[in-house]
Amino acid sequence: MSTTDHPATRLPIEEHTLGNGLRVVLQPDSTLPLVAINLWYHVGSKNERPGRTGFAHLFEHMLFQGSEHVGTNDHFRYVQQVGGVANGSTWYDRTNYYETLPANQMELGLWLEADRMGFLLPALDESKLENQREVVMNERRQHVDNQPYGRAMERVHELLYPPGHPYHWPVIGYMEDIAAATLVEIEEFFRTYYVPDNAVLSLVGDVEPAAALAAIERYFGEIPSGGGIDKVTAEPVQLAAEQREVLADDVQLARVYLAFPAAAFGEPEWYAADLLSTALTGGKSSPLYKDLVYTRELAQDVVSYVLPLEIGSTFIIVATVKPDIDPQEVEKVIGEHLEKTADAPPQQELERARNQLLTAHHDGLQAVEQRADLLSLYTTYFSDPSRLDREMESYEKLTGEDLARFGRTRLVPDNRVSLHVVPKE
Amino acid sequence: MQLELLSRGGGGQQDPHSRAGLATLTAGLLDEGTRDSSALELAARVEKLGGYLTSGADWDVAHVSTGMLSKHLEHGLQLLAEVATLANFPPAEVARLQRQRQAELQRRLAQPASLASIALLQLIYGETPYGYSLLGTTKTVASISRDDILDFHRRHYGPADAVLIAVGNFDLAQLQALAATAFSGWSGSTRVDAVDLSPLPRSEPTIEIVDRPDAAQTELRLGHEGPPRNCADYAALRVLNSLLGGKFTSRINLNLRERHGFTYGAHSRIAERLGPGPFMVSTAVATDAVARSVTEIRGELQRIREEPVVGTELDETKGYLLGVFPYSLQKLDGITSRLGDLAVFSLPDDYYTALHDEIDGVDSRQIGEVARKYLHPDRLAIVAVGPAEELAPQLEPLGPIRIRPALEVDSDQPPSPPPSGPHD
Repeated sequence: MSTTDHPATRLPIEEHTLGNGLRVVLQPDSTLPLVAINLWYHVGSKNERPGRTGFAHLFEHMLFQGSEHVGTNDHFRYVQQVGGVANGSTWYDRTNYYETLPANQMELGLWLEADRMGFLLPALDESKLENQREVVMNERRQHVDNQPYGRAMERVHELLYPPGHPYHWPVIGYMEDIAAATLVEIEEFFRTYYVPDNAVLSLVGDVEPAAALAAIERYFGEIPSGGGIDKVTAEPVQLAAEQREVLADDVQLARVYLAFPAAAFGEPEWYAADLLSTALTGGKSSPLYKDLVYTRELAQDVVSYVLPLEIGSTFIIVATVKPDIDPQEVEKVIGEHLEKTADAPPQQELERARNQLLTAHHDGLQAVEQRADLLSLYTTYFSDPSRLDREMESYEKLTGEDLARFGRTRLVPDNRVSLHVVPKE
Repeated sequence: MQLELLSRGGGGQQDPHSRAGLATLTAGLLDEGTRDSSALELAARVEKLGGYLTSGADWDVAHVSTGMLSKHLEHGLQLLAEVATLANFPPAEVARLQRQRQAELQRRLAQPASLASIALLQLIYGETPYGYSLLGTTKTVASISRDDILDFHRRHYGPADAVLIAVGNFDLAQLQALAATAFSGWSGSTRVDAVDLSPLPRSEPTIEIVDRPDAAQTELRLGHEGPPRNCADYAALRVLNSLLGGKFTSRINLNLRERHGFTYGAHSRIAERLGPGPFMVSTAVATDAVARSVTEIRGELQRIREEPVVGTELDETKGYLLGVFPYSLQKLDGITSRLGDLAVFSLPDDYYTALHDEIDGVDSRQIGEVARKYLHPDRLAIVAVGPAEELAPQLEPLGPIRIRPALEVDSDQPPSPPPSGPHD
């Protein structure tokens, strides 16, 4: 066990590992009578394979369909009737499940999570899978196929990552793969990945750590470990030449997507990319936003960000093009700004971006469930929950030259995907 | 910390019809230039500190908000005071924001969820204020002049109707002293005009298809006018809506999603406005399941009107509403929003304690009463945004239908209801 002092909020973090390999992180905080329970399984769409995509996400849905001692819709029922909130989400590298409950309901949340970790299979059946396949196909229609620009990020990743690379396909999966998922595969997936030694359980809130740990041991301690999981790896991506595509969609305004491969989340280069992105587009006074949206009025909006991915990331700039403006012109202006990233940005832009990230960091620590999710994240990826407190140091260490190196080596035309989404016809 | 200045005269209900969008444009321009600073100078000042500055309006109130670390309290207050008292609406910024608004209206024509909600509100409210979008239409926005904006600002913004909300890690006495200094020069009187917000009278279902021929799914909305926020049945209505369609385990969501697999999610909402805002059921469903979804939703509205709520369902719903309250107070914006509601709806400081007890006391008989009083499944306005060719044959048996192309939803004149009478 280790305890780290929290300089920002002065809240201690405790770390434990149960005999079956389940890692447990606790942060007591009695500000409000709440507890956030957050469980990460280290499995996501990157553990899938071509032709069988969307599986991790469909599986997440199945975890809300009841387990041996919890009826079909009772997970949400039990949580909501005491004033709790619950959900789950799937991402490239992980799947999370969480409940925020009145603190005196901590054991309810632990029991629900333990029951589906330890006793899911007896409750699974074909009719539940059939229902959730339909629900997920409708989720895909709502968020991707019937959404303006909905296919764009999917296409960007298909172009940026080679076929077979674990980030090539979308997290929600392709329609035909979702439709084809079978119960046997679901069971196999569960046995492989939903095991205590592939999970991190974080609790933040108005709980007494020793009592919480004892309860966790009681609910989770007897669930057997898994049989080991092969680590998913991939060669770093560097494009040999620019990949360009125009996608016609049911949209009114065109959009320009420029995407570049970047270092994995947690690497110094990732933080340089994040800081550079904030320097470029963080607010009305940032150079790219000001130029494109405010001064020249070529774009309706522009954003940039770097995805926090485990084995190599995506740096992306997205600009919505004003009516009657050629997307090429927008791309050209972005290109001019990207050329300038080969040099260190002015000091005041660096300071502004650092302050914006600092404010965002504090903002993200307000809610117990966000903090619990971050503790699970740092533990899952880096085995180090104390990174929650030290995250800002990674930005403070960076110099203008670190950003320039990222700009020079990564943000070059040969190393990018350019996707234009344009109105149909 | 978060600082928010509310102007109770600045909401969209004050828009003249021919100038729909005026309130939101005026509010949006507050941080686009003052007597002392240009738009970019304002942005640079706040962003340098890592903060944000935004302004806007909803139906009942306009707001300017800033967020930054609490140590910048004085900066934040000065910034709010400057935009509140010295905004000068530079002509170039007015023109720029109007162009941006026009592009936004155009972009929205390709967003099926927005189209569906806008078309539904047009059906329910016609040419009354709630029938117009807060952003206005292409035509009304084009007709707004800088003089309209200056006039709206002069008449509707001033200290008498303003409320400052401050949430953060600072000393109360210090806040009061700094706020008094920052806003000391603000004077002027304002007024809130009485506006008729009544909806169109309607006695029968009204069905409209907004045609998007290649849509992969259909956005569906059903609704009618609801009660004003301050109606006496508020607590019972909160419980009713939560049970019917407000939470994940609500009847409508479990029916459409978990029983039938028609959708990823379905929910209902009773708007909280000073006037009679909409009751609306929203979902996105597989196109071949639209008529069945309409039937199921209408069935749920009938059922809750006719059959008493029995068993644990009512207690589970009340437990959710009561228990989830602290959850809504975790973040600055949650606290700001709760306090803002007290100001906008003229509620007492101890209101949330009283509401807790009121919700706790709601019984099955009251649920039935408010369901019968406020839910009208026999005269729902219904909008389906999707491929008309597939939708029309499904929906025709349910009542007279009208088909509009998606691009016409931004028409200046909201449509009149289709002819009544049984369809043949």
